[in-house]
Amino acid sequence: MTKPILDVSRVSKSFGGLRALQDVNLQVMEGSIHSLIGPNGAGKSTLLNVMTGLLQPDEGTITFDGRTLQNVTPHEINQYGIAKVFQTPAIFPEMTLLENTLIPAFARRDGSFRANLFETPEHAHEVYEQAEEALAEVGLQDHMKQEARYLSRGDKRRLELAICLVQKPKLLLLDEPTAGMARHETESTIQLLKQISSKGMTKVIVEHDMSVVFSLSDRITVLAQGQIIAEGGPDEVRGNPKVIEAYLGEEQE
Amino acid sequence: MPVIVFAVIALTMPFWFPLVGGYAGLDTKILIWAIFAIGFDILLGFTGYLSFGHAAFFGVSAYVTGLMLLHYSANIIPAMIASVIVTTIIAVMVGFLTLRRSGIYFSILTLAFGEMFYAAALSIFSDWTGGDNGLTGLPTPELFSMPFKENNVFYLVAVLAIIGYYIARRIGNSPFGMMLRAVKSNQTRLEFTGLDVKKYKLSAFVISAIYASVAGSLMVIYEPYVATEFVHWSTSGKLVIMSVLGGVGTLFGPMIGAAFMLYFENVISAFLQEQWLLVLGLVFMFIVIFLPGGFVEGAQRLKRAIAGKAGDGNASKGASE
Repeated sequence: MTKPILDVSRVSKSFGGLRALQDVNLQVMEGSIHSLIGPNGAGKSTLLNVMTGLLQPDEGTITFDGRTLQNVTPHEINQYGIAKVFQTPAIFPEMTLLENTLIPAFARRDGSFRANLFETPEHAHEVYEQAEEALAEVGLQDHMKQEARYLSRGDKRRLELAICLVQKPKLLLLDEPTAGMARHETESTIQLLKQISSKGMTKVIVEHDMSVVFSLSDRITVLAQGQIIAEGGPDEVRGNPKVIEAYLGEEQE
Repeated sequence: MPVIVFAVIALTMPFWFPLVGGYAGLDTKILIWAIFAIGFDILLGFTGYLSFGHAAFFGVSAYVTGLMLLHYSANIIPAMIASVIVTTIIAVMVGFLTLRRSGIYFSILTLAFGEMFYAAALSIFSDWTGGDNGLTGLPTPELFSMPFKENNVFYLVAVLAIIGYYIARRIGNSPFGMMLRAVKSNQTRLEFTGLDVKKYKLSAFVISAIYASVAGSLMVIYEPYVATEFVHWSTSGKLVIMSVLGGVGTLFGPMIGAAFMLYFENVISAFLQEQWLLVLGLVFMFIVIFLPGGFVEGAQRLKRAIAGKAGDGNASKGASE
């Protein structure tokens, strides 16, 4: 919990005339759960996309684990150790659950490309074990041969988490992990995230649901109109008048 | 197992094929198209990228083989090797440019590239390719100074088709093949799982072009003549149709599709005369609408129906006892 694993320094990003991010500084400490909140259009998703290499910042630098992320593709960033959970669960729908987790397991063993045209996956015992373990970790071990598209939304989210977990990322980015979920699914997702957090993996969560944010986070950063307006522990942020004005106020009305 | 079944079917073709009305040599042609179709399925069936330009690889390879036979040596080995090398280089370049787009844009780009090769063969390269007449006057192909034709060609083609099918199945079962199927399923997730999607797509594209080049080269060895039709888009279209008829993504299906298409074109067309294309169109429509998985899906449904009936029979028998 001492050193920052991700250091966003003076990052700005504009789309045409719109300044989506203005001079954003953010440090995510190793092993912590860090939430990004803010009203719609505050720049949360842009910040997340800059972190994963989907967008290049106009100004400023992002350093992850001692490495500057510049002109790198999403797959390279992933291989450095940043995994992402999407707002809409991104899985391989036409493939079985086991194949869904085998893919990241092979990616972890072989890197971003390997022309192993003639390898029989059945002989890669280690890879198989990792893939099965990850499914067991999220509670999906009983349907390994089933196609992923038949899962419920909550279970798709679990599968996506399993895909990310196989890789043992240093940093996990979650973009509204409970969006569009029923209450009981949200609860179980929070439980799952807490369970994973005990392993010391750093997480950055973008979230709308305040109950999720306050029950999970070690630290919260509040964005509004592309700028950071507050940062601190859950209690500090909850009491900050600026935050109440910009965001929480609307929620409580 | 399926490889052995295929090997038996393919190698015994000269014995049973004439019994169903096939003329000598058509079996060779079917197997050449089967090679073409298996390779195409690695691209279309696995990654979901529909190319309308594979005639370019088939045709370029055919021309290279023809030119090698004519100007270098009648020995088929250097001719085949040169064809595969040239086609591979072209495929890397075309794939690099066309795979930047997906869906319909990719299809149209490949179609445009295919047409460029066709136009080039008939215009700027016509001194080499023989222009509209095709490349004629080729010597009889040889293998180490022995004339190589008819049955020899058939068994060479059959062995290469069996090897081609075996390799394609191995690719399908490998982690590499799994990544190709993941390209079709969700490219974004694959990229965000740390995999270089572009390299996987390009590999699939080039592998399918290599199959096309082997087929194109064999076509000239089978019949020492290069028709302009080989580079024409209708050859690409025929390939797509046979893949869909047989069942995209099944490897075996497109080979069945190839057999059906050539059998239809050469044997059944004799009974239907001018109308054979119309009937083929109807068959194609029927398959696309009612059996989107092609002949393979049809066979699976039939199998399930029979198994289901047998199951019902047992159940009622059990009940009566």
